Amino acid sequence: MTPTTGYVLAAIACLVVATFVTRAGFLLVGERLTLSRRVDAALRFAPACALTALVVPGIVSPEGALDLSLGNPRWLAALVATALLLWRHSVLGGIAVGMIAYALIRLWLV
Amino acid sequence: MRRPWLDPDWRAEFRSGVRDMLPAFPGIFAWGLVTGVAMVKGGLSVPMALLMTLVAYAGSAQLASLPLIATSAPIWIIAVTALATNMRFVIYAAALRRWLLEYSPRRLSALGYISGDFSFVLFMNRVAREGAFPHRDAWLFGLALLNWLVWQVASIVGIVAGAFIPAQWGLEFAGTLALLALAVPSCATRPGATGALVAGLMALAGQHWPYKLGLLSGVVLGITAAMIVDGLVESTDGERRS
Repeated sequence: MTPTTGYVLAAIACLVVATFVTRAGFLLVGERLTLSRRVDAALRFAPACALTALVVPGIVSPEGALDLSLGNPRWLAALVATALLLWRHSVLGGIAVGMIAYALIRLWLV
Repeated sequence: MRRPWLDPDWRAEFRSGVRDMLPAFPGIFAWGLVTGVAMVKGGLSVPMALLMTLVAYAGSAQLASLPLIATSAPIWIIAVTALATNMRFVIYAAALRRWLLEYSPRRLSALGYISGDFSFVLFMNRVAREGAFPHRDAWLFGLALLNWLVWQVASIVGIVAGAFIPAQWGLEFAGTLALLALAVPSCATRPGATGALVAGLMALAGQHWPYKLGLLSGVVLGITAAMIVDGLVESTDGERRS
């Protein structure tokens, strides 16, 4: 059954509301809510944790199961990119080197 | 101030935000493109896909909703899924809040709505270095606006050219690499590295959990681990830290 236009519009409206509530909600409660110093200190680590949680599954388990073999070009390419980033930090360089490694590994190994 | 953009300092900070987001351009573009393609291949008509990308700016929630929409799942399931996939943004907003308390609700709504993963991380890195620098709303707005613009253009290209972009190109990997590039320096401290390790392992273990709950548990558990290690580091060399 093809979803009707009204249904798709309602689904999109849900996405809009959910996005707004999660992203802006906490900013808008403003001064009425004070976070404890501990929680505030903990949130310093949010970037490191969120970023790794976002990227790790796609890198070491792209097909849905842990794959650290030569048959998974993503983790090898990510390894190359990480080595470059540790040596010299450049977002653009990381993307370029990672994508080139990804292409070459797929060309030769897979 | 009612019209902050009349202030040249505000505009300068805005421009520097736009510039500082430029290195992530290819990653964001590739990712937006893939999401655009996924929307039309996932069964949305071109007008609906365009509407979705323009009003609901939330890549992972958009992708998660596609199979549900295709099978006409109950609307409340779509709402719950969208909330759950966006849960990490609640943590982001909680972290951003103390730096943005002085701004008006209208400005906060706009900043919140268009701030994604990239703007959040770059903003947190800068306030960690410089503290509450002046016109940080302008800088964050510059970061977020470029991110938004690149994403929208790429998504629209993906929607329109969907049929001509083969999945084998693996373009979405560029988005992963861009996030990885941001992750590496944030893991430079011992608590940061421990938190990241725990977060990554947890996200991997919960990869197949519904509503991206693995991702959320990874973030929460990672932050907890980082705090524990931070407490240990603090108690061993408390003198040198402030």
